[in-house]
Amino acid sequence: MAGDDGRRRAWGWVAHLRDGGTTPWAGWHAEAERGPYLPGAQQLELLRRLNLAGRPSAALVDRVLSASAPGRGTPDLELVGADSGSAFGPRPVDPAQLPEVELTRVASSLVADDLVTAGTPALREPAFVRPWRTRYRLVGDPWLADPARDALTARGRPPGGRGAVVLVLGTDLATMVADVWTARAFGAGVASWREWLDPLARARSVPPRVDLPRTATAWAGRVGAGRVRVVLDPAALPRLVGVRRSLPARPRPSADATDLARRVGAVLGILVLPQRRTELLRRSLLPRLLEGPGAPGAPLAVPPQHADWALDRAARMRDDLTGAGYAVHGDPDLLLPRREDLAAATAGPTESGVLELALRLLLGSGDRPADTSDRPTEREGHR
Amino acid sequence: MTRRVLLHVGTPKTGTSYLQDVLFRNRPTLASAGILYPADRFDGHFLAALDLMRLPWGGLEREAIGAWDRLATQVRAHPGTSIISHEILAAASRSQVGQAMESLGHGSGTEVHVVLSVRDLVRQVPAEWQENVKHRSTISYQRFLRQIRDPARRGRISSWFWSVQEIPDILNRWGLDLPPEHVHLVTVPPRGGDRELLWKRFSHVLGLDGLDLDLEAERVNPSLGVPETALIRRINRAANRQVAPVDYRPLVRELLAHQTLSRRTRSPRLALPPDVHPWVRDLEDAWVTEIRERGYDVVGDLEDLRGGPPPRRWANPDSPVEKQVARAAVDAVKALLLENARLQQEVRDVRGELDEAYRALERSYLRPTYRARAKAVRRLQASAMGRNALQAYRAARGRNSRSA
Repeated sequence: MAGDDGRRRAWGWVAHLRDGGTTPWAGWHAEAERGPYLPGAQQLELLRRLNLAGRPSAALVDRVLSASAPGRGTPDLELVGADSGSAFGPRPVDPAQLPEVELTRVASSLVADDLVTAGTPALREPAFVRPWRTRYRLVGDPWLADPARDALTARGRPPGGRGAVVLVLGTDLATMVADVWTARAFGAGVASWREWLDPLARARSVPPRVDLPRTATAWAGRVGAGRVRVVLDPAALPRLVGVRRSLPARPRPSADATDLARRVGAVLGILVLPQRRTELLRRSLLPRLLEGPGAPGAPLAVPPQHADWALDRAARMRDDLTGAGYAVHGDPDLLLPRREDLAAATAGPTESGVLELALRLLLGSGDRPADTSDRPTEREGHR
Repeated sequence: MTRRVLLHVGTPKTGTSYLQDVLFRNRPTLASAGILYPADRFDGHFLAALDLMRLPWGGLEREAIGAWDRLATQVRAHPGTSIISHEILAAASRSQVGQAMESLGHGSGTEVHVVLSVRDLVRQVPAEWQENVKHRSTISYQRFLRQIRDPARRGRISSWFWSVQEIPDILNRWGLDLPPEHVHLVTVPPRGGDRELLWKRFSHVLGLDGLDLDLEAERVNPSLGVPETALIRRINRAANRQVAPVDYRPLVRELLAHQTLSRRTRSPRLALPPDVHPWVRDLEDAWVTEIRERGYDVVGDLEDLRGGPPPRRWANPDSPVEKQVARAAVDAVKALLLENARLQQEVRDVRGELDEAYRALERSYLRPTYRARAKAVRRLQASAMGRNALQAYRAARGRNSRSA
């Protein structure tokens, strides 16, 4: 039980953090007058991390202190040594010991708010629709197809139309699997990388969107096999859709950035409608994740323990496609991931990396970067 | 007139669905008495709570965007008493409570009362596990009990359970800024008591006494027995990956659980295992002592919060009597067959209506005037001059339809 002294000490720490202080709770002793209710340990520690990383504005400080972690999970926790003295409720904690995922929960909610407030950059007026355009449809790997389709639409060449050729886009299977997860993280939402990937690999199946033989067969049934092409060589795509200028390469956000988008997207799901969520994630958040110091970082990759699955399924995919006789642009062996790439793959998103990115985004929302010269020192914190 | 808000924030499984159903259906009667129940759909306050707490809920959250602000706006605009009720509000954090209170006008002239309906933990623990199962969970009863007994409260199930069931902590959050006489506890009578007593307590605390309300329930959240809950859990394990949330709710939760399996009232009831019983009773004792000291307005009897003794024969839902599960499964299959037959009939009816519409359309095509016009258009389209004439005619007519 903490009593009034502990509560006053906690309010002193709140004031210290509001002033940009970075002293951990365990090392804080000064007291201050009590306010209405203490923010949770997660919010206070998040503010301390923001102070360590930069100089949050007063508005951001207020938002952090009045935020709550979204969704189900750990509720707001009290500070050990400054709890209300109640024998009920979750145990108080030392905020420095909180798992980073708890700080990211609060931060992702604030990032979602920022995105909604900022909106999306205005789209360039689409060019007039060329009547003589090549009729096409882009299917397959969504992270390859979506940017290419958007670019073509902006150039006055929307997909579809009578006699359209169906272009099934693909690359090596390991990348395609990562692409499906990335597209969903920046779209309708998805479970965490390993929660999503591991059952898939255990069942030795591949996501339907990148099951290229199945996609090709489905389209062949609708338009005839003669109008289905499998495109594994990205350089072949402009010619197939009738343009000379190259098409944008697919964005490569890091594994941490993609995981942050997934978490922010979950909050956006309750703030905006699904289509708007995707727009905010892809047109507003994604460019910010691809810029800045250290961006984009290590990309998402299938971990080594799933290498056999990825290689087996890729070989089967190659054999099925070539056996079915579809026109393939590019070497069918491009479907096979390189074993050395799989062996060197990283462990996927990291909690510390995701939190660091979230802090960077929050500080970037109109806040000044770190300037340690005028930040209170640890010693000042003990006054 | 003082603006009052009666904010019923939980807890789950305390007759909340029934209360919300009565309030929703009797909105005109309530309005005539100056009481606002601001909802245009039955689950309006649920959506508002999802919005306030930023809770995803199987896609339902899409319908919740901005719902709390709309609700609060209606409440602030009403000069008399407003009632808000949803049990998941019990899980709101302190800052969410602060946000809710402020948006309802607390601190700027509105008198806010918090109402918490509560039931003994001996019944709440198995009821919460059953709620988890009815929301697609596949967790076993033993594992559920292990999780909620973890003092660190790690994991979603444990943290959610305590956030909506630990009465003193809920009141720490919701009652923080209120005088104790504005915090009202409605206790659920013990099993086997007067069935109308709970309603009378709600009616009293919400100021509904003397109003001519229709109390016939349309929506309730009935309980299942041991084999029935075990069956739903097995269905979840088998079908979760294929059945989308939007289909799960009407088919499994409503049709199977609520409308079919809850009618099997002679099967063994869910209960606490005897070895967990003393732990729960100790918690109940501590809660009763704490609540008594705080001086809240108790509607009912705090002794209601002490659960009954353990059952003489405890039925383990993790290893139910297979014969009982099989019987429940037959009832479930029958319900699905009947529902399927009803849907098939509906398809036949719709198809019949569609065929009739097609026939009517064909008859209109066969009219001589239509045929003459169609023939004229075909002829005109056969030559360049004709097509130009047709285009000029359409421009003059002010319509760009290509069909005659």
